[in-house]
Amino acid sequence: MKRLTIGGALALAAALLVSAVAASTSSSSPKRQSATKVVIWLQNDAKNGWEQMVTSTNDAFKAKHPGVEVDVQYQGWGDHLTKFDAALAGGTAPDVIEFGNTETTRYMAGRLLQDLTAQTKSFPNSKTWLGALKDSCTYRGKLYCVPYYAGARAVIYRKDQYKAAGVKGTPKSLAQFQAAGRKLMKKYGAQRNYSALYFPGQYWYAAMSFVYDYGGKIAEFKSGKWKGTLTSPQAIKGLTQMKATVRALSRASKTTDEANPQQALVFSKGRVGSFIGNGWEWPYALDEKVGDPSLKNKMSAYPMPSHVAGKYMPTFLGGSDVAVPVTSKNKALAYDWIRIFTSASSMRKIATIGKQIPNTTTLASVNAGNPQLAPFTNASKYSWFVPTAPNWVKVENARVLKNLVQAIVTGRQSVAKAAKSASDQITKILNQPVT
Amino acid sequence: MSSGPGGEAGFPASAVAAAGPHVARRRPRAVGERTLHALAPYLLLAPAALVIVAVLGYPLYLVGRLSFEQFGLAELITKKGTWIGLDNYSRLFHERQFWTVLLRTIVFTVVNVGLTMILGTFVAILLTKLGRFMRLLLSTGLVLVWAMPVVVAVNIFRWMVDYEFGVLNWTLTKLHLGDFINKDWFANPTTGFVVITALIVWGAIPFVAITIYAGLSQVPAELLEAAEIDGARRWRAFKDITFPLLLPIFVILTSLSIIWDFQVFNQIWLIRGSEPEESYWLMSVYSFFEAFKLGEYGYGAAIAVVMVAVMFLATFVYLRQMIRMGETR
Repeated sequence: MKRLTIGGALALAAALLVSAVAASTSSSSPKRQSATKVVIWLQNDAKNGWEQMVTSTNDAFKAKHPGVEVDVQYQGWGDHLTKFDAALAGGTAPDVIEFGNTETTRYMAGRLLQDLTAQTKSFPNSKTWLGALKDSCTYRGKLYCVPYYAGARAVIYRKDQYKAAGVKGTPKSLAQFQAAGRKLMKKYGAQRNYSALYFPGQYWYAAMSFVYDYGGKIAEFKSGKWKGTLTSPQAIKGLTQMKATVRALSRASKTTDEANPQQALVFSKGRVGSFIGNGWEWPYALDEKVGDPSLKNKMSAYPMPSHVAGKYMPTFLGGSDVAVPVTSKNKALAYDWIRIFTSASSMRKIATIGKQIPNTTTLASVNAGNPQLAPFTNASKYSWFVPTAPNWVKVENARVLKNLVQAIVTGRQSVAKAAKSASDQITKILNQPVT
Repeated sequence: MSSGPGGEAGFPASAVAAAGPHVARRRPRAVGERTLHALAPYLLLAPAALVIVAVLGYPLYLVGRLSFEQFGLAELITKKGTWIGLDNYSRLFHERQFWTVLLRTIVFTVVNVGLTMILGTFVAILLTKLGRFMRLLLSTGLVLVWAMPVVVAVNIFRWMVDYEFGVLNWTLTKLHLGDFINKDWFANPTTGFVVITALIVWGAIPFVAITIYAGLSQVPAELLEAAEIDGARRWRAFKDITFPLLLPIFVILTSLSIIWDFQVFNQIWLIRGSEPEESYWLMSVYSFFEAFKLGEYGYGAAIAVVMVAVMFLATFVYLRQMIRMGETR
């Protein structure tokens, strides 16, 4: 028996060692790239919304550079930066990567992206890039990425359900919006999982719009220091209204976000009166494979109304940029791919197929005449953006605002308590030394 | 393992007969040959030991060193950290979150290991009582559970408790056990951990049950019969005969389960869609989050090192205790 226990102890020691190493080295290792292959990381939005534009870019690129392979790898928002960091360390980072416009500052400050200042003019539309996107690519006067597209959110809704519930026209104030929602709940609420407004409990982009609508802010920069400001009376008022709206009108899961499941697909299943979505989510709801094309004439959109009648609630001005990591071994090819990807004809496709705001102001007219795009363009007139701190992406990675919204709508914490804890965390993270 | 105390006691004559000629042949051998004989086990072990040092020892050293360094995003490119001594550790021990997560991990481990061992033992005993067909059916089921990849298992559990379409919610409601339509299991960490515990215990039972079953089949039937004749009830017979005989197996299984459950990562990570809320963080998730999500690789490594130390301590104390118990018996 003694020998047995010693053998067992050895087995245990080995298991301990294995676990120690497993705890420290878990990361994925992407494929090693060869010299004639350009690896591109794009977000899934492109795949769901405008894959044709990606394909045509690749075709044009291959025609120009015969023998060069293009490998587009689609990523999810949740973990693409983790993967990217790991790939940087492993020397397997892509040649081109898409960033959300809230994610760029840390990488620019860390000098991990190729300085494109000298080549600025070689990129199409560089004179007419959207200001907000160009700003997200600029750090201390230098350009580190190329604007890709912007997106504003609006309320996408079922015209037929609004009509049947007796809602006349579209709501012009938050109070009217809530009243319309209550009518929908009265009419359809007997279906157990019906939501007048599908609003998942971690949907912080939409939740923060309430904060900004009441004059609140996430954080501000004062005398050299960042300070979380979600505890201000205005922010508390906004969060309280958000909670009331969500608790009354939404039966969406309170522990998921707007992308898992894709809210447009939940909408397409019929038990949702409205949701706050991007332009591309409208056609996505009509997708033949995963959506419901028969909704084509039953849906429309309008900008989310403000608590001040006649005004719109500020929308998050989201967007994406494409950059070349300093580790890329095919920089010239990468730049060329980006040039085709952000050319005028590609951008026209972003507008028409993707229902997004293209990277250039010269194409604004493409959207203006289209009733499907006007609500989003109008919504973007009032917008908010995250604090432009180098550490902001850490606030996102640490899920501070997702946790905040979830804690409030589940009722696990009072609005004041949740706001205090989130605000303190934001102050702490934003003032950390930039690493 | 199979030649337990029963075997040694049962066939002394044959054992001597087998050893006899062997000993006789060895006596006239040279001294050099004898030292070779003594060294042989170590020589045979050497390749394996070398591999272990190379693939486990070296990374372990790297993690240890990393935990004393300031290592962030910029250092990823330069591949050179700055030595900051114990700063990562002192920062960690002053962080309230660390103690919360540590306590949560310990409670989680105790509950999961306890349930795994108890239910695993029950299933093993059940296996000995079943008829041939049912035993085959049950053990096939166990092996299938064992063979299922974690990712698949997690996704199935995730679907079963899905907020919109979960079959578990539907079933519980149809059984009139309450209203579970649109039940959000993960809104509350307690119910969330019930699901996670179910997933982990379910996955861990097969190994425990099959191993204990193998042990049970080695318990001499005469002993149990004798106990029965002496009037011992089933529980008494299990407590005083079966359990002591299988004690080494229980020690090993419990210790292995502690190690596995203390470092659970995949299940939590996947079931919360790669973004577990803070209330679901265990040590491994905490370490990964700090290192890979927040780019604090040195700090994350410090957490990993503390985690290994705690695990080592727990297993060591436990093992010692059990070995002592075994000896006094």
